[in-house]
Amino acid sequence: MKFEKQRYILFYYIIKKDLDINEHSITNLIWKSLFRYFGVKETSKIGLWLVDLDVEQQWGILRFAHTSKEMIITSLGMIRYLGDSQISIYPIKTSGTIKKIKKILSSLQMKKNLIA
Amino acid sequence: MGFFESRVPIDIERYDDIINRLRFLQKLGFNNIILEPVNNIEKFPKNLKKKIRESIELNIYFRINIKPKNIVELKQTIKKYDNFSDILSVESGNKEVQIFCARDTRVDVISFSYPHIAKTLTPGVLSLSKQYNSFIEFSFSPIFNENKYIQSKNIRVIYTSLRMTLAMNAYYFISGNFSNLLDYRSPRVLISICQTLIDMSSSNAKLALRENPSKLIDKLNTKVNPNIIEEGVRIIEPKKR
Repeated sequence: MKFEKQRYILFYYIIKKDLDINEHSITNLIWKSLFRYFGVKETSKIGLWLVDLDVEQQWGILRFAHTSKEMIITSLGMIRYLGDSQISIYPIKTSGTIKKIKKILSSLQMKKNLIA
Repeated sequence: MGFFESRVPIDIERYDDIINRLRFLQKLGFNNIILEPVNNIEKFPKNLKKKIRESIELNIYFRINIKPKNIVELKQTIKKYDNFSDILSVESGNKEVQIFCARDTRVDVISFSYPHIAKTLTPGVLSLSKQYNSFIEFSFSPIFNENKYIQSKNIRVIYTSLRMTLAMNAYYFISGNFSNLLDYRSPRVLISICQTLIDMSSSNAKLALRENPSKLIDKLNTKVNPNIIEEGVRIIEPKKR
């Protein structure tokens, strides 16, 4: 039996109102979206973990099982509201190692190429 | 060839908003955008087309969408589009209108963007559209409904319509059709949505977002070029010695 491989995804978010966003609110939002579209059974296989979140620059890194990549991307894409404020989460890049994803992040920050 | 956002509703009087929208879509990873006015205009002003195309490095195309209630209204409206160089799409729940549009070479796209219209899609229309090389359009916007029950119904309608379209081998594409800027998603997310929520294969999703809209643009070019008589037949001028 093979060990489950992990993937990391770098995402960027835009929120309309100035809401106090923290790790808890973002994780909650993603879990809710996962439950809504894929249910308890599929969501239990994901092993979701918020590795990093930068509230000022509005990006975050998620870790999950490599088999659930499409589910994670869909769930992030389907998120539209946080409370009564509109929010959009844009997956930017997926990678197998945290080192690579941080390298991509720093190169994007250098180019100022994170969506907004 | 890149990904297409095949239906971006715009208000032609708000130029800054149009450019803002286009820049945002460019950052999301779209290379080709099809703009549709919401002002009930018959044709896009030429100056505006030129101005938009010059202001951004994207392939910009234009479409006009007509919504006839019955065949009489359609026949009256479509007379204005005899030598039309942009994309002409028709959106109607009337089966007679749909069949007429599938046969008419002036109509490029038969739109089934809204669930109440997508419900009226029949194999007959799909077969005719395949025969006459017209395109069937679906949209992502109903999938993004906040009400769980309506959203679930909408996904079901799009799922069944797409199954039917794929079974009939008709030309189809999926557009965004979002009025709010923050509702637009990157092509990668849209492919994922197609795979997970509508149960399409990755290649079919790419067909809907890249290859088929590109074919639509090729068809449009044949309409504009007077040397092209029909698909695959072009008049070649002899070389001067």
